[in-house]
Amino acid sequence: MAFQDDNPMTLDGLNLGQRAEVLAVTGHGSMSVRLLEMGFVPGVEVALIKRAPLGDPLELRLRGYHVSLRRAEARRVQITGVTA
Amino acid sequence: MSRPLRIAVAGNPNVGKTSLFNLLTGSRYKVGNYPGITVETREGTIRATKGWQPRADTPAPTLVDLPGTYSLTPISEDEAIAFRTLTGTIDQAAPDAVLLVLDASNLARNLYLALQVFELGLPCVVALNMVDLAADAGVGIEAKQLEAALGLPVVATVARGGVGLDALLHQLDRLGQGGLPKPAPRLVEPASSHTALRACLAKLEAGGVSPARARWLLAAVAADNLELCGASVDERERAASLDPRDLEQAIRSLVELRYAEVDRLLAQLPSSGQQPGQAGQAGQALAPAMARSAKIDAVLTHRVLGPLSFLLVMALVFQSIFSWADPFMGVIEAGIGALSELVVGALGPGMFTDLLTEGVLAGVGNVVVFVPQIALLFLFIGLLEDSGYMARAAFIVDRLMARVGLNGKAFVPLLSGYACAIPAIMSTRTIASFKDRVVTILMIPFMSCSARLPIYTLVIGSLFVADAPVFGPFTQGGLILLSMYLLSTVSALGIGAIYKRTLLPGPTPPLVLELPPYRLPRIRDTLHQVWDRTADFLRDAGTIILAVTIVLWGLLSFPQVDEAELGPGETAIERSVAGRVGKAMEPALEPIGQDWRIGIGLIGSFAAREVLVSTLGLVYGIENADEDDAPLREVIRDAKDEAGKPRYTRLSGIALLVFFVYACQCMSTLAVVRRETRSWKWPAFMLVSMTAIAYLAALLVFQVGRLLGLGL
Ligand SMILES: Nc1nc2c(ncn2[C@@H]2O[C@H](COP(=O)(O)OP(=O)(O)OP(=O)(O)O)[C@@H](O)[C@H]2O)c(=O)[nH]1
Repeated sequence: MAFQDDNPMTLDGLNLGQRAEVLAVTGHGSMSVRLLEMGFVPGVEVALIKRAPLGDPLELRLRGYHVSLRRAEARRVQITGVTA
Repeated sequence: MSRPLRIAVAGNPNVGKTSLFNLLTGSRYKVGNYPGITVETREGTIRATKGWQPRADTPAPTLVDLPGTYSLTPISEDEAIAFRTLTGTIDQAAPDAVLLVLDASNLARNLYLALQVFELGLPCVVALNMVDLAADAGVGIEAKQLEAALGLPVVATVARGGVGLDALLHQLDRLGQGGLPKPAPRLVEPASSHTALRACLAKLEAGGVSPARARWLLAAVAADNLELCGASVDERERAASLDPRDLEQAIRSLVELRYAEVDRLLAQLPSSGQQPGQAGQAGQALAPAMARSAKIDAVLTHRVLGPLSFLLVMALVFQSIFSWADPFMGVIEAGIGALSELVVGALGPGMFTDLLTEGVLAGVGNVVVFVPQIALLFLFIGLLEDSGYMARAAFIVDRLMARVGLNGKAFVPLLSGYACAIPAIMSTRTIASFKDRVVTILMIPFMSCSARLPIYTLVIGSLFVADAPVFGPFTQGGLILLSMYLLSTVSALGIGAIYKRTLLPGPTPPLVLELPPYRLPRIRDTLHQVWDRTADFLRDAGTIILAVTIVLWGLLSFPQVDEAELGPGETAIERSVAGRVGKAMEPALEPIGQDWRIGIGLIGSFAAREVLVSTLGLVYGIENADEDDAPLREVIRDAKDEAGKPRYTRLSGIALLVFFVYACQCMSTLAVVRRETRSWKWPAFMLVSMTAIAYLAALLVFQVGRLLGLGL
């Protein structure tokens, strides 16, 4: 992409059924390491499958499995290339 | 004969490690479809099968079943157990070999841990499990292909059906024969462009630390979890000297390099159709293995239907615990009653007969009579875990738990708390932060465990008309019982929220929860697990209760007084040791509407709540006293004080119920809390705070009730 966004979109901004590519996991500490090790590495495709009944947490699909993250954690994952 | 080989069974959560372990060792342990069910290591010796016999000259290998982990960077106690077993600690050497279990339907994530295990350089056999599910999902894969890609023996298995067992046994046997020499650690190597990673690894390796160790140390520092890994002082110092910005970059590069290697391996499995994860492929929205589960989730995690089904499931569980257990309890009570009549008939009246019937049989009966309820609760929890629903329940209630300051994972221990606090407290090991674990542990005894039920039943049955209809299907007894459960649940959540904000403050823990595919529970496995857990309960609780009942019987019966010495209206029990203690307590009991008889019961029930019932039975001198014994209820209902008024009012009954909702009357719970928190501080705090809360709540109920003129 020629145009570099200063504030890339984050995972919590996806709409239901949308997919995107992971750009980076921000922050540090155990949560960032855990997100990376669960497969949120640059280039991986993530899809938003569902929101929990009370709006939080989210159900996401990546690397052939489904995982649930809160919006607060999803905000640490920067994404690009959103497709329906 | 040489020492048996120790082989660790490692893998992601929920991939079938425990199922394989059980098959290979012939032991039956807990298997569950809830990520992170195995919270301890279990060991077992491999047993012979039709297709495989251990050699005569070498002992059969020992398997160690580890808790599931997603990576070798532990963030909770259970993951740390797996980590320390695999890497070895000061007092326990690393295992001789690893049996790595992979979920064939989800290699794209499973292979990440595999790479980390390979880095350790231990001989390794791979069980490619769940090949049946992978084939169903259209991502089937040949063991041969994976074997070629990994350069390690790979055996395709279906742990549920026993498929591939013999092939696996032969591979493990080869390990024992030195057939697989220790492989060189396979490390992902940083490229020259990964300057930060190179710099960090160089610093960590400088002190003679092996490259593999340097890699997990790096991840552990980045995750602020060095203490969970048992790093040495020197390593800690070295780790602390790393440049924080380098560290942040280094851990990203390391994980990315490993995942690049995973994707390279997946690319060598052409026919597999596994999703490596890159964007831009014509992938489906759902993970292939989740196609069927998504249809079920369309209802079970639906915005409206989801919470409704959750409530329905919970209501069903509790309704069945209360109603289905009833006939079984009746049979057990009748059996115990018959048995003590038999004893009386055979031995004739006397001291020893009393000890046997009122002490031993009543004590045993008190425990045995719960077994139907406890077993049913364990059965439901087992089925919910095994089917995969527990993860959905955690998904649904996470928002609520976040309000308390915890996450959805704390829900499972709390739910187990309705059955028994002991297994519930042990299952808190899956909670990452120690403070949050302690908060959850402190909440659990407030959940109304099944040991409180007999007390509720006795008090309600004695002082209220249990089956008087109130409205609809609800009866007086049912509604009071329901209120006690509501009170306990709300109090547990409220107290958790308070402790989390005052005593053990910390940020609300994040949630990273895998939602596994639904699986049909295997009823045989579940029943075995129910049996194991129930037997544990019987052994632990049974011995204590039996001992306490016998001691109490002694305290109530001695010193023996002559009938003639007693004053008018006085009973022998008032002169006994226990009676005197109870009387001495009366000034404290009167404000909460109780008398010395209940006082004796309270002392006895410090050991275990349910002792209250048998103690009251002893106090009222009723033979064969047990929970649902109608006579005891009637005696309590008809008991009159000196002025001829009923001794117990409904208000005092409610105060007693409320006392038992809050009181920590269970020695086994305190012992487990001591073990899990490794200090006497928390059990002491638990005992004192819960007793104080219980007393104050009962005081409030009784005094306010009296002021309002509610004699009830
Ligand atoms: N269809 C199928 N189901 C399996 C297979 N192996 C295990 N299961 C089921 O998968 C679920 C999880 O199995 P466990 O043995 O508890 O897995 P685990 O890896 O020990 O799980 P944790 O202890 O949580 O780490 C259970 O419901 C098993 O019955 C298999 O090969 N095929």
